Amino acid sequence: MTRKHNSIEGQAAQPQASLNRRHFLRGLGACVALPAFASLFPARLMAASSAGKLAVTATGAPLRAAFLYFPNGAIPHAWWPKEPGTDFELSRTLQPLESCRKNLQIIGGLDDKSAQAGEDGAGDHARANGTFLTGVRLKKSATDLRAGISIDQVMAREIGHLTRFPSLELTCETERPSGICDSGYSCAYQFNLSWNSPTTPMTAESNPRLVFERLFGAGPPGQRTESLRLRRQEQRSILDFVLQDARAMQRRLDPGDKAKLDQYLTGVRALEVRIHAAEKLGDPKDPMTPTPAGVPEKHEEHLNLMFDILTLAFQTDSTRVATLLLAHDGSNRSFSDIGIPEGHHDLSHHFNNEEKMRKVSDIDLWYVKQLASFLRKLDQVRDTDGHSLLHNSMIVYGSGNADGNAHSHVNLPIVLAGAGGGTLTTGRYIKQSSVPASNLFLSMADRMGLRNLPRFGESTGRLSDV
Amino acid sequence: MSFRVHLQAAARLFAATVKPVWGAQAFGPRSLLAVLALLAGSGRVAADSAPGSAEFRAQIRPILETYCFDCHGDGAHKGNVAFDELKTDQAILGNPELWWKAMKNLRAGMMPPAKKPRPSPEQEQAIAQWIKSAVFRVDPRNPDPGRVTVRRLNRVEYHNTIRDLMGIDYDTQTEFPPDDTGFGFDTIADVLTLPPMLLEKYLDAADKIVAQAVPEKKEGAKPKVYARFFPRDVPAGSKARRAYARAILGDFARKAFRRPVDEKTVNRLAALAEEIYEKPGKTVELGISQAMVAVLSSPRFLFREETTEEKGSDPGYPLVDEYSLASRLSYFLWSTTPDEELMRLAAEGQLRRNLPAQMERMLKDKRSKDFVRNFTGQWLRARDVENIQIDSRAVLARERGADPEMEKLRRRYRDLEEKGNDQLSKEEKQEKDDIAGTFFKRFGRPLRPSLSNELRKDMRAETEDVFGYVLHEDRSLLELIDSDYTFLNERLAHQYGITNVTGDEMRRVTLPEDSPRGGVLTEGTVLVVTSNPTRTSPVKRGLFILDSILGTPPPPPPANIPPLEDAAKGLTNDTPTLRETLAAHRANALCASCHNRMDPLGLAMENFNALGVWRAQEFKQPIAAAGTLLTGESFSDFTQLKHILAQKHAEDFYRTLTEKMLTYALGRGLDYYDVETVDQIVSRIEKSNGRASALLNGIVDSAAFQKCRQPSSHPAKLATLTENKS
Repeated sequence: MTRKHNSIEGQAAQPQASLNRRHFLRGLGACVALPAFASLFPARLMAASSAGKLAVTATGAPLRAAFLYFPNGAIPHAWWPKEPGTDFELSRTLQPLESCRKNLQIIGGLDDKSAQAGEDGAGDHARANGTFLTGVRLKKSATDLRAGISIDQVMAREIGHLTRFPSLELTCETERPSGICDSGYSCAYQFNLSWNSPTTPMTAESNPRLVFERLFGAGPPGQRTESLRLRRQEQRSILDFVLQDARAMQRRLDPGDKAKLDQYLTGVRALEVRIHAAEKLGDPKDPMTPTPAGVPEKHEEHLNLMFDILTLAFQTDSTRVATLLLAHDGSNRSFSDIGIPEGHHDLSHHFNNEEKMRKVSDIDLWYVKQLASFLRKLDQVRDTDGHSLLHNSMIVYGSGNADGNAHSHVNLPIVLAGAGGGTLTTGRYIKQSSVPASNLFLSMADRMGLRNLPRFGESTGRLSDV
Repeated sequence: MSFRVHLQAAARLFAATVKPVWGAQAFGPRSLLAVLALLAGSGRVAADSAPGSAEFRAQIRPILETYCFDCHGDGAHKGNVAFDELKTDQAILGNPELWWKAMKNLRAGMMPPAKKPRPSPEQEQAIAQWIKSAVFRVDPRNPDPGRVTVRRLNRVEYHNTIRDLMGIDYDTQTEFPPDDTGFGFDTIADVLTLPPMLLEKYLDAADKIVAQAVPEKKEGAKPKVYARFFPRDVPAGSKARRAYARAILGDFARKAFRRPVDEKTVNRLAALAEEIYEKPGKTVELGISQAMVAVLSSPRFLFREETTEEKGSDPGYPLVDEYSLASRLSYFLWSTTPDEELMRLAAEGQLRRNLPAQMERMLKDKRSKDFVRNFTGQWLRARDVENIQIDSRAVLARERGADPEMEKLRRRYRDLEEKGNDQLSKEEKQEKDDIAGTFFKRFGRPLRPSLSNELRKDMRAETEDVFGYVLHEDRSLLELIDSDYTFLNERLAHQYGITNVTGDEMRRVTLPEDSPRGGVLTEGTVLVVTSNPTRTSPVKRGLFILDSILGTPPPPPPANIPPLEDAAKGLTNDTPTLRETLAAHRANALCASCHNRMDPLGLAMENFNALGVWRAQEFKQPIAAAGTLLTGESFSDFTQLKHILAQKHAEDFYRTLTEKMLTYALGRGLDYYDVETVDQIVSRIEKSNGRASALLNGIVDSAAFQKCRQPSSHPAKLATLTENKS
């Protein structure tokens, strides 16, 4: 009998990974240096997307949205700049963003009240994580999942057909803890940002190799397009068979089981749409970089690799909507690399102990550093209209917890990076007057061309000034 | 017209409306009764309509009045429970959740609290019996088996199933995302969702697996595994070929779907194969293998579909058919697909009749190691030990006590590091190197115990081997709490301070008399996974014992309660021990009610640090492990506590283990109506003096495992699944 699990469950450590990342980056760096990066775009795409108003900038380039989640909130006094306006001084935690400050806004006064305890008691981490992009109250249950459709999926439904992938879900969490998650909430709430329906979380991918292969095909550079084509051919031949099987099975099953088969059928349909989109839009240009190895041993490299791939996905217009969970809320990751061996969550309940607060804000700072390097990458890539990818994107970086110590969910730490193709007023710190974060998401959906969305989550309106 | 007539009419109407979806929405006779009780309660017709409430008033309430009303009656309503407010039939009988909680607390000795008078064992028995019969409406001869949603294979089961079906070791831990869990297990049907990305992965996996497993016959020699999939040569002629493809695919689909396959499916598969092999240059084998990809992508492979036996079933709760039973058994005891023997017995209708022999065979089979691995991996969280982050330097620093000098150096080093190497002056660079050197000298000694990957695996192996030993040797389950042996190799023995164990392989070791080890709670896995990255967590450990051993987890903390370290703020001591910090925390009445239960248990384990190593002191102060449980028993160290748990709380442990394993085996959370099933298994264990076999057989023989609620689908539809056997 195989005891393979022994070796693969602890497989995070892959000695090749860091070497491979350097290769991968060098490759990406070379791509970035190319003047005509538009060559990576399928030729037909520009025409296709300019025709409609969906997810397109005024200059005809693709408009993208990404939602990045960092865990356990941030130490407020180290996060918030002193004075709002364009002339603000970056706070200690946000210092790494100095070089991109013209391309972002720091938004205060956004709340996630659906994460507050109400009558549900403990479980602020599960709620912070599960409500951040859904904006609805979660059903407190270990097995009976009830969340809401998340904003990225609302967007994907409308604009997903424009790209080979309607959306991309990424995570830097490779493992799930066994045992019970946060205070009676299913682990699904605490580890998923994106929800395709109130009952179906969009499980995210954590392995850089698998994301890359999914986007560009398996195999060495040069052979990937062929491998994608082959895969589609094979998939098509069996989709009919399994579709019949699923429908017959659904008729046989108890009504309580039908939801499971619905999920299966939704998956089959999504795949059919993907195959269709690939035929209409053509295959992506092979980035010609080596395929990244699995999950790097160092957390920092893992994050950066995911950011690289996200950059590449936007660059090649493989998708225009993405989510990335940097760590689940309540993460107790230890940061020995920066001299903080204690667990993040443990420390976040600092009770105003200065040393602990300093350590937590150092962890906050560490996450912002990774964000800054991602934004710089996006800023270096020329888009089809001559602007940068960053200019043509809307990147939300935030947490569903404001102050991890108090488990508060008002005045969330949120950065909105990118100019949304010129539709966002960047280069400032702006304070909203305590409105739902859903309002921001609704305003982003407007820019994505979803004009008819009356409301989202707990929205009370749009952000008038963003 | 009397109210009673209305009631009858309403009942008829209700039954008529509900019948078509009987079972599906958890409407059983009980719900009907609850509705009737509601109707009765809302009218003014009195109590004698429900005998259960009459019994309550006459026999149960007086006991509660004596022992419970101090806190839950006469104006007091601690925990929002006031028994004297239960006046109507509906209030008394219509809240099974309340009585379920009351029963758990009463049985576990949590209520009434220590130092308060307790009802006699006979009175306790009477209360439990009343709850079961009057509130839960349990029929011990025909208990409700509950409802399990159709279950997707999780990634461990998928891996093993492919291994046995295809002979391929497909790395699902890497290729598939982690499964969501419920109640601590990854077998729970309701949370085994199927997002679109996973479906894509299943199709991909099917393709890769078949490509890797199923050989194409090349010129000349046949590949070694050829006969596994193609037991005879491909015949000539299109008719013969079709028959050949049908035979192979029919048999393959039967194995993959874990039950006979209808003609129509075989035809569709054969047609799929033919479409491919009729193309020029394509072999029959290639066509067949493509059809196999379809089989492995089908929901019939990915989900475990169940049907019921047509004959010999109790009304309302039919037996599942023998193919379903074969799968329930194999996924429970092997985490994989049924083998040919189980399938043969199911086909002959002989599986139920041969259950004891099959159980014995299955437990002897090496595949039962997968059960041990998956169950202990989750019940005791042994899976987590391989990845959990523990900073051994920080852990050991606590034992040595604070070192302000080193702390200063560490801070200085970090500041220099933050500046970046290219910004440093020559002197600063030198200083940085010097600090690194000092640190290495101080902490870099090879003797420093740390959690290497090997050691983590050893710990997990110990947990599995101990459990496997109890299971396979049919030992007493209490040895899981308290025993004079464990499984060790040299590395792990060294970590535990035990000598005379040499070599890499794990073996059973009889422990020295004065050894604190023995039992799952002193295993490295449990000690490590219940710790924080830099220290032990008595709270997590106490919670672990309450939840995983005694089955009485406290409710989650109220929102916005700052945890433990915060309580240390008021302490004058700079480096308070965890015991002192926790004591400060318990001073708050709100915290005390739960921490009084968790802390003594967790603090008793303080002699084991976050690396699972024995220690005598923390912050240079001796560790005091003595304490008193909320149930009244005092102990001087953890070894004594283990004796108490094994002797005085054996029944609690049997019940908890039964509940955990039943949850794992059934793939659903337990509900109040499962109490009777659990009670029956527990009494079986007690009668056998705690034997492991009583637990396993008890689960497999239970109604919940053998039966299901009446499916709402028409029997005709179900029959199509099996009527045209190929």
